[in-house]
Amino acid sequence: MLKKISLLLLLALSGAVKISAQSDTPVITGGLQYESTTSGGVTTMQPVIEPVVLIPLGDHWLIETRATFDEFIFREDGTSGPYHAQTFSTVDYLQLDYIVNSHLTVVVGRFLTPFGIYNERLYPVWLRNFQDVPIIFPIGNLTTASSDGAMIRGALISRKDVEVNYTAFFSTLSTVNRFESGRAGGGRVGVFLPQKRLEVGVSYEKLLQDQRQNSVGAHFAWQPYSAPLDLKAEYAHSRNGQGYWAEAGYRFSQFRGEDSWLGRFQAIGRVQQFEKGTASPIDGLPGANTRQVDFGLNYYLPHNVRLNTSYGRQFSPLGNSNIWNFEVTYRFLFPLIPGGHN
Amino acid sequence: MRKLLRVEILLMGVVFFCLASAQSRGQQPQSQSPKQPSAVHTAPSSSEGEKRFQANCGRCHQAPQDLSPREVKAVVRHMRVKAMLSAEDEQLILKYLAP
Repeated sequence: MLKKISLLLLLALSGAVKISAQSDTPVITGGLQYESTTSGGVTTMQPVIEPVVLIPLGDHWLIETRATFDEFIFREDGTSGPYHAQTFSTVDYLQLDYIVNSHLTVVVGRFLTPFGIYNERLYPVWLRNFQDVPIIFPIGNLTTASSDGAMIRGALISRKDVEVNYTAFFSTLSTVNRFESGRAGGGRVGVFLPQKRLEVGVSYEKLLQDQRQNSVGAHFAWQPYSAPLDLKAEYAHSRNGQGYWAEAGYRFSQFRGEDSWLGRFQAIGRVQQFEKGTASPIDGLPGANTRQVDFGLNYYLPHNVRLNTSYGRQFSPLGNSNIWNFEVTYRFLFPLIPGGHN
Repeated sequence: MRKLLRVEILLMGVVFFCLASAQSRGQQPQSQSPKQPSAVHTAPSSSEGEKRFQANCGRCHQAPQDLSPREVKAVVRHMRVKAMLSAEDEQLILKYLAP
């Protein structure tokens, strides 16, 4: 069944490219990144490419997909020996969206599980302030961070001063290669104040397989107009554990403008804490209570290139460790059909 | 653990310092060119499209520097679904990015 849906979506995607040549231009966008990480003295390297294809159809339809291709390069004995590489590829989403109106969009196919804000909004390599995902990321994304099924989403209330948004989804169990997902259902509700750029919300997911466990979460995001400050936080709880992360980013654009050499810098900091619950071999969470603090400095070069550097210290009964990260990321965007600028 | 606590307190202190300094600076008006979309975190201008862009897209993205009009529709449609923009938001942001 899932194979048929995927095949239909792919056929629609290839056909849509031809159709949309006469109406809306499909684009390919995404990120290209080289990442180097030294954790506990062991250095690994990871080139990543995350292409996103967007195909608008008329006024109501959109086909969109994102895939991730990455190579994990490491030394045989951790710090010595010959280098080895493993290549991974995943389809993060391949979905067909039908926008009914401002209050309702119907999504079918493979989509990002809408639990919290990290997975849907902050996961792409060109958007993350820190390249390491938060420790609690697997909570609410227990099988994979993607779901195969259907989702509805939209704004219950959409006014100039307040917006109440929602998502509700159902996902089926899939073991198809690169389209893995768990049987689950859930949703998210958020309240957003556009004039303050402040958002708070809650998420819920129930796994409808194995231990049928519940996950709940809460999120907070604030980007005040009065400062180049970016504050985000999430809390998540399940029987496997609970924890939070809180992140702050400050761009030095207040001093000489964001295109000056100083204004291109961004200082970032993050704190995380995780308390272990009932251990499960597939939960993807640390084996013990863990705390971590990270600091970093990013530099936004022209032409959508960004440099990320960060240092983190992880505290755990299993052993404390230092984590050093360096990345260079390029964000690209091209039309899929050749043509003029306009 | 005490060291970590100190680091956390220091981090929070830095955040509040930035906020406090920003509040005082934020009262000064900022001028912006409509042709050159301002990047993330800047104060809203008089353009309704730019206001909507800053309120919604500007939370995570800088305004694209070299987005051609033929590419805009796909990008804004994508953001309409992801960020749950209204039809009015979509139209105003389209006009702002591709006048």
